[in-house]
Parts: sequence; C-alpha cells; structure tokens
Amino acid sequence: MKRKKNFKKNKKNYNNSKLSLFQKADIKFSRSCPLSGKNAPKIDYKNIKLLKKYLSESGRILPSRVTSVSLRKQRELSKSIKRARLLALI
Amino acid sequence: MNCYEHTLITKQDLNEKQAETLINKYESIIKKNSGKVIKVENWGLKNLSHIIKNNKKGIYFHIKLEGMGKTIEELEKAENIDQILIRFLTVKVKKHDLDNKDKDNEKNEF
Repeated sequence: MKRKKNFKKNKKNYNNSKLSLFQKADIKFSRSCPLSGKNAPKIDYKNIKLLKKYLSESGRILPSRVTSVSLRKQRELSKSIKRARLLALI
Repeated sequence: MNCYEHTLITKQDLNEKQAETLINKYESIIKKNSGKVIKVENWGLKNLSHIIKNNKKGIYFHIKLEGMGKTIEELEKAENIDQILIRFLTVKVKKHDLDNKDKDNEKNEF
C-alpha cells in the first residue's frame, strides 16, 4: 500500500513539473548577424567568395533562420546573389 | 550625376584589338551622352557558371562611370543590338570604391 501511495505522489509531481513539448528552452541561442557590425564584410555581387557561404550545394539561397543573417542584410544578400547569377559568376 | 557600375560579357573569340575597339565604342557613347568614364577593368576570360546562348566561356569587362539616366538608356540601347555581347548588367551605386581590394579578392578565388 505504501508503495502505491508513493507512486501516486510521484505521478503528481511529474505532472506539475515543467517538462513539455512546448516548453521554452532555458538556454537561449543568441547568435548575432555575421554581416552587420563594425568589421563586417561588405555585401557585393562581385565578392563571390562571400556569397558562396550563403548558398546551398545546389546553389539555392539559404534561409536566414539557418544563417542568422538579419532581415535587412538578407534582403541585400539575396539581391546581390541574383545579380551574380545573372552575370553567371555563381 | 549618378554613379554606375556596368559589366559586359562578350563572346570568347575576340582579339585584343577587337576588344579595344569594342570598349572604345562604348566609351564614346557614354561620353556623347553627358557621361564620364572613371575606370575600365578587364577581368579576362572566365568560365560561365551555366550556358548562356550556347556559350560556355566569356570575356568580362567592368566599367565604372558617372552619368545621367539617359546615358544608361543610350548605352543599353546600343548593347541590345550588339551580337558580340552575351549579357550586360548596370548597377547604381552610391559611391565608387577605387581600392585594390577587389583585385585581391579575385586572386584568392583562383
């Protein structure tokens, strides 16, 4: 009997604990944008070496949620990638 | 006056003399239409990343110029007819950067 009671108590505790699918992570991933800041490289359609970092193997533009580029810089980046594509540099 | 960067791709079978006359021709068009050529770069023969109009290679020329909107209009009108050209691109920039940084980048690529 005692065991059963203990089991019930444990179950209650388990339900009250914060473990769930939609739980927020304790550690926050705060990655800053690699293209903004003081010493950041300049985005340009001629700078192919830089642009290639933000392309997948098949030549698609990587989403900013993967590369953590800021929205503003992502817009600049996609524009310059498309320019480089037009000139058949990438 | 606005600053522009203009890039040309020509077909690969082009002599040095032919290339010179081609560039001189477009420079004169720019100058006629109240424009000003600041710098001409020759990037040389490069492999195209994909086939354009049955061409696998092309010679790249890069022109930095100042001018009005009309200058670009006239320049592109002439280029549209030209059959030696594969493709061209004009980009408006706020300021020309005339450092040698671009050259260093190109060297690192190869």
